Order: sequence, then structure tokens, then C-alpha cells
Amino acid sequence: MLNALLEIRNLHASIAGKEILKGIDLTIRAGEVHAIMGPNGAGKSTLSAVLTGNPQYEVTEGSVLLKGKDLLAMPAEQRAREGVFLSFQYPVEIPGVSMVNFMRTAVNEKRKYTGQEPLSATAFLKLMREKRALLDMADKLNNRSVNEGFSGGEKKKNEILQMAMLEPCLSILDETDSGLDIDALRVVAEGVNKLKTPANASIVITHYQRLLDYIVPDFVHVLADGRIVKTGDKNLALELEKNGYAEFE
Amino acid sequence: MDTLSLNKGEQRNLVLIDKPELDLHVLQEAGSLLRLFVFDFHSAKNILHIDHKAANCVTEIYHLAFLHGADSVFTHTRMHHEKGEGISRQMVKFVLDDAAKGEFFGELVIKPDAQHVDAQQTNRNLLLSKTATMRTRPQLEIYADDVKASHGATTGQLDDSALFYMQQRCIAPEEGRKMLLRAFIMDIVEKVPEEGLSTFGSRLSPKDLMVTIDSIIEQR
Repeated sequence: MLNALLEIRNLHASIAGKEILKGIDLTIRAGEVHAIMGPNGAGKSTLSAVLTGNPQYEVTEGSVLLKGKDLLAMPAEQRAREGVFLSFQYPVEIPGVSMVNFMRTAVNEKRKYTGQEPLSATAFLKLMREKRALLDMADKLNNRSVNEGFSGGEKKKNEILQMAMLEPCLSILDETDSGLDIDALRVVAEGVNKLKTPANASIVITHYQRLLDYIVPDFVHVLADGRIVKTGDKNLALELEKNGYAEFE
Repeated sequence: MDTLSLNKGEQRNLVLIDKPELDLHVLQEAGSLLRLFVFDFHSAKNILHIDHKAANCVTEIYHLAFLHGADSVFTHTRMHHEKGEGISRQMVKFVLDDAAKGEFFGELVIKPDAQHVDAQQTNRNLLLSKTATMRTRPQLEIYADDVKASHGATTGQLDDSALFYMQQRCIAPEEGRKMLLRAFIMDIVEKVPEEGLSTFGSRLSPKDLMVTIDSIIEQR
């Protein structure tokens, strides 16, 4: 288990008393991309919610270590500062808080946690421009309120921009392909690929194989009824595309 | 009661901060414009009575009450359109913590002679504790047939999903709450003009206003 970035052991979780995750085991090493696929209601989004500390879910059993640290003992903001990033399936609109103010606060909170000096306004804007250029995204959204009035595609691109700004060690992309046309999908996927390094890893949660044409996974896991029931390489995704999830339901 | 008359075409920005008793009657003549800002951070009773005595008047009312402890604010706006072609905008916000109480009575009257009036009344309230209470009562009386009049009132809490989204972006809930509060309040504060103000005996300047609001937010 050398170099394990994330170790999930026998993870059980429930919402409002109903058990959704029924014993997940998963090890992720730096440099890897793991796809998690499965039918609706299998627990894919619950897994991302539990890893990021969403207070609506209760962990009833099991453990999660991030670089050897007890992730489940940390409040959500500390998990984020340790480098866990979630690209939300439904990014939240925050009227009255500008993107620039929001992101600068986020980046500086992380810097404070890791013992770095906060970025000045000028240095921050320069960084944001660089990341936008890297991802080929226009900067027209900077002064708008967070996600307010953004189209579906703009919201998902904006999630990837935030990922670029925060440089996480573990990115969880929750149904990032949902609601995207093919051009937006390509921009988002290329962004994710550009941000890949040997030191970080990604979990790509998706219902469809389509996204995996662009973000090629090292492992594909099938999640059904709260457990990982099958693991394979990228060919497993193609099989699922052909045969559906019927055999797992 | 204080009476204020705006002459034909006169423009007036009025900022009133933390006055415990306010009973103001404004008479507007043709083409006049009134921008009225009323801020309360402690218990107060406000009666704001505006009459459009002639055509083509414009009135904007911005009111924020930000209360804690056992303070209470009662605000009654009486927006009376007597003559036509007038415009009125009311934005009223209450932020209530602890056991604070708020009450807003928004009376909007459009008289038979007041054709082509465009009137809006908006009331948004934020409750920061389970023991804070808000009562809101919009009352529209419309006697002219060719007018636009709308009103809306909402009372809610800080958005939990926004707070979690911010946490996932490294921002602790305490800081997230402050950012959401500031956002809720800022659209009123930002409208206060920097120059040309009558403060009607208020002790605070708009610059001090933001300092005051920030220090209250810091204590939440």
C-alpha cells in the first residue's frame, strides 16, 4: 500500500436512516484516474458527498485515509484545504458574492492552512488569468456572482477553473458530463487532462461512457447497491455502454 | 411628524441611520425624485409616508434593519400615488438574530387619477436564529386601471447548500456566513450615493455605515 493517496475501507453511510453505501473498499494512488460507474441510485453521488464531508450523510462504519490522515475526522473545509476537490453535479448559485472575491478567499484560506502568505489582489488576478488561459476559458465571468445566471456549460467550466486555482491532490468529478453539449464536454475534459500530474489523482463519477472517451481512466469500477461489484480497465466502460447495467440491478 | 416638500423637479437623497422614532411625511411635486435610505441597527419605529401630489414623480425607498438581542423594528411605508406617470421602488430587508423582532407593513395606494404608475415593493428577510420573528404585510390598494404594480415578500435562512459549497472551497462556515450576510446587505448599501446627501440629523456618514455593518457582522 505504498504511496496510497486515498484508502477507503469498508465504508458504510446512510442518509435519514437509510443505508446507501454498504461497504466500499477502494485504494487510489497518485497519478491514477478512477472511473466510478453504475445505475441511478447505486450510491455514486453519496460516495462523493461522504468523502467531502457533506453534513447530510452519516458514516456508520469504516475508515477513509488521505495520505495516511483520518479524512472522516476533519470538517469539510479542512478536507478541501488538504486537497480534496469536488466538481459539483449541481454547482450552487451564490447571489451577491463575486467570483473573484469567492475564489480569492478560497485560495487564501488554503494558503493560510499550508503556511503560505496570502496572495495580493494583483497576484491573485494574475494567477486567475493564467489558469483561464491554460484552460482556454474567457474571463467574462469574473465579476459576476458565483454561478448566478451561468448556463449549464459555464457552471461546469467554472468548476474546472476552481479546480485549477486550488490545485487539489484528489479531484472528484461528480457527473461532470451531465447537461453538457459535446463542445463544452471537450473543453471540460481537456481542462481536466491538462491539470493531471504524477502527484494528483481523480475520481470520475459518471453514468455514461461518453466522458471516458476524453478522460481515459486507469481503472473502472461498477458501483451497484452501495458496493463496488466489479473492477476493470477502460474496456469495462465500453462493455457497460454496450450491455447496460442490467446484470448489476 | 417631520414634513418635507420636494419642489417641482427637485432631486433629494436622504439617508437616515438609527433614528429610534421616525415619522416622516414627504410631499412630492411634479418631476421630483426622492431617494430615501433608512438603516436601523437598534429598536425603532418608522412611518414613511410619501405622497406623489403631481405627475411624473419618482421615489426609491431602501430600508435595512439589522437587529440582534431583543431589539425590534416596526416599519410602515405609505406610498401614495395621487397622480399619474409616477414610479416607486421599495426594497425592504430585515436581518434578525437572537430574539429580534421585525414587522413590515407596506401600504401601496394608487388613486383613480394615477394612471400609468409603475410601482414595485420587495421585502426580503433573513432569520439567523430560531427565536427571531418576522411579520410582513403587503397591502396594495389600486383604484386606477392602467398601472403596473407588483410586490413580493420572502423570509428565510442562510442557504445551507451555499455554505457547504463554500466549505468545499476551503471556506469555514463562520467565514461563509459572513460572506453571505454581506452579500445580502450590500445591494442596499451600494446604492447609497457618496455625495449630495441630506442626513436629517443622522450621526453616521455612509462611510461609517459600512464600518458599523462590518462590526455587527463580525459579532454574529
